[in-house]
Amino acid sequence: MLSNRLSAFLLGCVCLLAQPAQAREYDDVIASGYVRIGLYRDFPPYSYLENGAPAGVDVEIGKRIAQGLGVRFEPHWITPDENLEDDLRNNVWKGHYLDKNDEQPLALKHLADVMMRVPYDRDYSYMRDSTGEIVNEQVVMFGPYQSERWQVAYDSEKIDRVSTMAVFQYHSIGVEIDSLPSFYLTSGFQGRMRERTHHFASLPQAFAAMQRGEVDAVMGMRGEIDQQLSRAESARYRLGENGFPNMGKQSWDLGMAIKQSNRQLGYAVEEVVDGMIRSGDMATLYADLGLQYELPAFYRDTAER
Amino acid sequence: MKRFGRIHGFAVTTLVAAMSMTGITQAGVTDQDIQNDQATTEDVVSYGMGLRGQRYSPLTKVNTDTVKELRPVWAFSFGGEKQRGQESQPMVKDGVMYVTASYSRVFAIDVASGDELWQYDARLPDGIMPCCDVINRGVALYDDLVIFGTLDAKLVALDKSTGKVVWKKTVEDYKAGYSLTAAPIVVNGKVITGVSGGEFGVVGKVEAYDAKTGDILWTRPTVEGHMGYLWKDGKKVETGISGGEAGRTWPGDMWKSGGAATWLGGTYDADTNLMFFGTGNPAPWNSHMRPGDNLFSSSRLAIDPDDGRIVWHFQTTPHDGWDFDGVNELISFDYQEGGKTVKAAATADRNGFFYVLNRENGDFIRGFPFVDKMTWATGLDEKGRPLLVEEGRPGNPAESEGDKGKSVFSAPSFLGGKNWMPMAFNQDTGLFYVPSNEWGMDIWNEATAYKKGAAYLGAGFTISALNDDYIGVLRAMDPKTGKEVWRYKNYAPLWGGVMTTKGGLVFTGNPEGYLMAFDAKTGEQKYKFNTGSGIVGTPITWEQDGEQYVSVVSGWGGAVPLWGGEVAKRVKHLNQGGTVWTFKLPKSAEVAAR
Repeated sequence: MLSNRLSAFLLGCVCLLAQPAQAREYDDVIASGYVRIGLYRDFPPYSYLENGAPAGVDVEIGKRIAQGLGVRFEPHWITPDENLEDDLRNNVWKGHYLDKNDEQPLALKHLADVMMRVPYDRDYSYMRDSTGEIVNEQVVMFGPYQSERWQVAYDSEKIDRVSTMAVFQYHSIGVEIDSLPSFYLTSGFQGRMRERTHHFASLPQAFAAMQRGEVDAVMGMRGEIDQQLSRAESARYRLGENGFPNMGKQSWDLGMAIKQSNRQLGYAVEEVVDGMIRSGDMATLYADLGLQYELPAFYRDTAER
Repeated sequence: MKRFGRIHGFAVTTLVAAMSMTGITQAGVTDQDIQNDQATTEDVVSYGMGLRGQRYSPLTKVNTDTVKELRPVWAFSFGGEKQRGQESQPMVKDGVMYVTASYSRVFAIDVASGDELWQYDARLPDGIMPCCDVINRGVALYDDLVIFGTLDAKLVALDKSTGKVVWKKTVEDYKAGYSLTAAPIVVNGKVITGVSGGEFGVVGKVEAYDAKTGDILWTRPTVEGHMGYLWKDGKKVETGISGGEAGRTWPGDMWKSGGAATWLGGTYDADTNLMFFGTGNPAPWNSHMRPGDNLFSSSRLAIDPDDGRIVWHFQTTPHDGWDFDGVNELISFDYQEGGKTVKAAATADRNGFFYVLNRENGDFIRGFPFVDKMTWATGLDEKGRPLLVEEGRPGNPAESEGDKGKSVFSAPSFLGGKNWMPMAFNQDTGLFYVPSNEWGMDIWNEATAYKKGAAYLGAGFTISALNDDYIGVLRAMDPKTGKEVWRYKNYAPLWGGVMTTKGGLVFTGNPEGYLMAFDAKTGEQKYKFNTGSGIVGTPITWEQDGEQYVSVVSGWGGAVPLWGGEVAKRVKHLNQGGTVWTFKLPKSAEVAAR
């Protein structure tokens, strides 16, 4: 099916040929009176709708960015594609191929001015394809604001304690389809957890299955787990204390992305977000939503100096 | 419903023909019309120019002598901004052509003049993310209806005279990753469709709807463990679990999201009253997560059109780890051996093997590679199962050290020895004409990957040509011996379908834009015409007012330009388009050639 679908592997030369979508530059954003913040759709606790209103960590940060720029916050909802390269192409620099306006062929594509929750990873930013081109040369990834990691939560009436992954040879665990936890549990440990791994469309659905007694534990991103635990309001569901041996990427930092031609906007946004982190506002914002907050490596390192 | 036997069907056709003599010139398309499509040369009312999908026409006016006189009579542009990926096969009935374009559009065109009669644009929802590009492969015709599938996974029936919607049904939820791109087929009043889907945990299925009303009749999932249903007097009745039960060939709960999308549709054989649908690769892509055969992924399924029962299956790539979808068309054909008629069917798989099966029971008769280079298997055993090369399987990400796992070179590439583009079978030469490609890929596990704000393990690919001077190879293959009788080499990869005729010709198009005709016996190129954009559609031929016509859709796109690496260099200069080209052999030229 790979050949039958769109993919990240729209490589250098193809990209260069493509007609670039005109981005709204810093002056356009200020003059228009609003900034479009790119947010993943239905993605609690980061960005979602609550009673019809945008909510979540990324929404709150987006509002602060808008405030800092002196403009109105406007959400740009992103339906995730198969990977980040696709999302950057569809929402930050080029626009989606279905975003066409027959009445106004010259109309601008719908793009986010700033996209949230874009990993801040230099290896990724400077990754090259097989022909030597930088894969994501059309965007700038900047402004790390949070560190994320994997986390297990379990039902204490089913499992006494999760101190190592070994318990999942005996206890069932729910994960999101096509996620790293799914890979880890089904292809790692010589397949010993494979039969106990249950798949769900999202982590909240896996958590709900745990509450119904269908699985004994769940594994997902810490932010997702934190929110589900605080919503469950029951000491019955607890955080695992285990590590994740042999897992490639245990923690990573998240920042933002803008189109590479629009660095001025990036600097302005970075100033706002950097201020939030250094003043402690960011940590408070996470705490208010019932989430743990971990500084990105960039700030951990500078704090030590 | 009873199937139409050949003799019975013929009698009814004669009756219909007699009726049309009395003044009904715009009769709707009947089951008989569809069943006899291959034999009736004045129209094309099925995908495959006959439900068996042989793409063979008994027309002879255009032949190896006269084809040089073939000339364009009109070109019709799909217009607008939506010039991308035209993989459609047109249909023709009563002097009107019905053709789909990318982005879920349908056009009706007057064949005599090239004038547009109507256009239908499906209104697609905002924020839709179809898995499988924006292409569409064609319509089905039935009664007064023009039926096609949309990118948001709906089946839409239009009035053939006005293009207005008569009925519309949701086959699946596009938000869950489903889409429709194949041409539906109509068998005995039922319109039958598969589904396209990405890797978001979809499950393939085949469904039948009442062609006139759009009411669902049965559904058959193509992954082991899922229940099939039949609707009887408005009630939904269980018709058994596909494969008997869950978990026989899948670990854990992986069968729940097992893939096996039926994205290329199917063919039908009236002799056996069976439909043949291919299924896509199993999900997820990493085969080390799902030890086992993973039925019915990468397989051909024989399905009873009356109730959706799986009568037999043949799996071309068990435990697929190379993304070798098993969707390619299975074409029914008969041949003589030892004084007996063998009821066979053939398919050229993505994995590089050509298979000849007994179409009555799915037994393997013979198989052989049709590509020059194959790294993943050394051959087939007596049941047709591949003899694997263990180091030819992409590595287990759980065992990879550092950022990248071990890179494996694999041929054919995941784009296949042959991809979706249909081959053709010529009843006179007994040969299959297979549009194929010679390419390989390096594949590795990519640890520096992200998805929806989370760390992820991706697969990295780069596709490369195996030869400097060509990728595409149009091959004439003998299904009885496995011998390649002739080949035509093409610089860019071939991505368009093939048609063959009793006139001794083989037609196909290439990405460079040429509609080409070859001598079916020798492979000598007899004709070419540049259509202005790459051809990734499938040609048809028919007769109207005593003249033989040929049509093909031109418009570069599809999967090839979406992938980079070395192959991109060969196609990046090609321009998009969206045009139906129609040719005919004028009566004068026909006479001159005699």
